[in-house]
Amino acid sequence: MHEYSLASAIVDQIKNIALEHNASKVKTITVSADPYEMVIPDLLQDAFKIITNELELFKDSILNMMILPAEVICIDCDYKGEPAVDGDEEFAYNFKCAKCGSRDTHLNIRHLTIETVDLEIPE
Amino acid sequence: MTQNKKIEVKKQAYLVNDEQADAIRQLMKSKSKLFFNIMGSIGAGKTLLLERLAEKLSPHYNVFVINGDVATTIDADRIAARGATTVQINTGGGCHLNANLIQKELDKINIDDYDIFFAENVGNLICPSAWDVGAQLNIVVVSITEGEYVIKKHPIIFKGADIAVINKCDLDGLGFDSDTLVEDAEKIKSGMEVICTSAKTYLGLETLIEALGIELP
Repeated sequence: MHEYSLASAIVDQIKNIALEHNASKVKTITVSADPYEMVIPDLLQDAFKIITNELELFKDSILNMMILPAEVICIDCDYKGEPAVDGDEEFAYNFKCAKCGSRDTHLNIRHLTIETVDLEIPE
Repeated sequence: MTQNKKIEVKKQAYLVNDEQADAIRQLMKSKSKLFFNIMGSIGAGKTLLLERLAEKLSPHYNVFVINGDVATTIDADRIAARGATTVQINTGGGCHLNANLIQKELDKINIDDYDIFFAENVGNLICPSAWDVGAQLNIVVVSITEGEYVIKKHPIIFKGADIAVINKCDLDGLGFDSDTLVEDAEKIKSGMEVICTSAKTYLGLETLIEALGIELP
């Protein structure tokens, strides 16, 4: 259950950004994740709530999570982009290359990224 | 009065960990040290493998092992008895090591006193794969007693590994089969080195040491 570690890492970064901007409240945090990033969205939300529960800066904060399309890199033809189909019969994450059809592809996992944060700043 | 402001961040959640991991990697490289991250499930044989490595390497090199476990110093004590210097990190409920935990232990020693560093990650085939500890090579240990589908069921950790060690191969043919796991490991990530070992009988240990880039006199 490393979602707790991830939620902690997100909150730590956002705290610093809020401090830099003299923000009084963090309203919405938007993060993006690869579909094959090992993150369970519900667990991340739960961990975020636990960590921010008693932090005034994060009172009523919302964590939005966008799931990106999968991306593969083909070892045979260097194609980089969305796979043709999901998985193969044997290996869940050995996706088919959309260009040459090879199954010799590596997943290009885009790790969980903090995209934007909406802050409330006193005038 | 307040105003709302949207800030574009575009930074990975793992940023702080990854920067710290890169700093560890750079430090090790600048000092010509080797640092390996050993991952695998509970009971795969990581500790016995590290005991064997400590036996083989300690007469020639100063070896430092950082053990990650929820509780006890059992693993660190076992490996220390084989000639390595060890330290045990107890993670409590934590299911993986990270760069910060490693750095804290490195801060307590003089890195120049050692040649080769190992981290034995917490027994888990999921969480450790997401957290860079700053090692030069990531090694996943899986044993043939874990069942023939263990690699298929945990693809991500193998896709991120540099070496897959198929352990307990001394049990090959005794109701267990290494062939399927070797085939799966080779198929799941092209170019990954796959080594059959038995920490119990020392099978494949020299091949593993060679794959780690360690020369024995």
